[in-house]
Amino acid sequence: MHLEPFEYLKPTSVRDFEGILAHRAGEATILAGGTDLLVLVKEKVISPRAIIDIGDIPELQGISWDEGKGLTILAGTKVAAIEHSPVVAQRAPALAFAAAQLGSSQVRHMATMAGNVCHGSPSAETPPVLLAHGAEVALAREGAERRLPISDFWLAYRKTALQPGEYLKAFTLPPLPALAAVSYKFKGLRNAMEIDMVNVAVYLELAQDKATAKAVRIAMGAVGPIPYRATEAEKALAGRVVDEAFFSAAGELAQAEAKAIDDVRATAAYRKKMISILTRRAFAEAFEAITEKNR
Amino acid sequence: MRTLITLNINDEDYEVPVATGDFLVDVIRDTVGLTGTKKGCNIGDCGACTVLVDGKPVLSCLTLVLSVVGKKIKTIEGLAKGPKLDPVQQAFIDKGAIQCGYCTPGMILSTTALLDRIPDPTEHQIKHGLAGNLCRCTGYAKIIDAVGHAAELKRKEGADV
Repeated sequence: MHLEPFEYLKPTSVRDFEGILAHRAGEATILAGGTDLLVLVKEKVISPRAIIDIGDIPELQGISWDEGKGLTILAGTKVAAIEHSPVVAQRAPALAFAAAQLGSSQVRHMATMAGNVCHGSPSAETPPVLLAHGAEVALAREGAERRLPISDFWLAYRKTALQPGEYLKAFTLPPLPALAAVSYKFKGLRNAMEIDMVNVAVYLELAQDKATAKAVRIAMGAVGPIPYRATEAEKALAGRVVDEAFFSAAGELAQAEAKAIDDVRATAAYRKKMISILTRRAFAEAFEAITEKNR
Repeated sequence: MRTLITLNINDEDYEVPVATGDFLVDVIRDTVGLTGTKKGCNIGDCGACTVLVDGKPVLSCLTLVLSVVGKKIKTIEGLAKGPKLDPVQQAFIDKGAIQCGYCTPGMILSTTALLDRIPDPTEHQIKHGLAGNLCRCTGYAKIIDAVGHAAELKRKEGADV
């Protein structure tokens, strides 16, 4: 098929990559897995002048754990690697679960979490879990690097905080306290290769009494132009006793903050109903996970 | 403007002229002439174009050919050893898991990748592993049987060695 001609660049080091990006900022597009980007190119939605393939930069691949910093996942790491990683299974099981939902096996072996996050779809699988974990992103450019809480990364529909010449280099998830867990729930039209009509990840941390909520996070997707946290709901739930009433209240509060719309996948009403149910279930599951962890 | 690159497909090196915008599926089929890999949707939804790159299942219709220089590519043609079919291929035949055959190369390669990672998958794991391969003919039941049967054949083959 005919595509508008483009220059293909394949740096093999971060240094080369940052150099290219510095000079070609604005006209060069980063190719990680290609499962979103190349579809857009084939459909002529975008016609980049230059494509920088970061698929073979070893310095951008890897998953590591540090007791102090937590879990670090470098931008070029394949979603399949995150899905199958024993480290992720142990330290952030909700992320391994969310990663396993993305696309299909083939897509997961090509795609990256960086791409999933930077492509900016409000219904992407990994953003809610990353928000629930309170993750941080490292945004780098030639000669500089800055860190941002991931809740500050998505600015508007498909618009991120990346400046020209910058790229997302790594994700860091702080260590999960012993009395905390994250749970992810989603609803789609079929079991794979689909775009969620609604998804939600919750963070629940119990106080030392193991009965009240010390901290709560609710991260929702596909009910707004960006993935975001239901901060009013979070404030209302903190300090409450964690019981069935808590789970139901969480569902209702999340629903109140969901800005759902009608679209081809679902109606706003259905989405709001589902957010309520999924949030309730997610908290029940998180509470169960904390109990298991501390048996 | 075409550049000459070397692609390693089924353990053989092919020197091929390619353009930057060329996708692996087209180079495999039209330039190298290995038409076992099929083109279905051309945008990564159906899995008919599945090949293995360094042992991992990928969609060749969404892979720029320049990305896979220096990697080991395996297509359906690379499974059989001369006249002897690979156990996965044999299993699909044994179980009648092929009708029109168009999804089959992709299904077999996805199955190969799945069994490499999980030699004895549950039905749920089989469905999850093959979720990226669509079949319009069979209704999937015999394909799922074939994967289970392939796991058995591979186990027997491993035991006989």
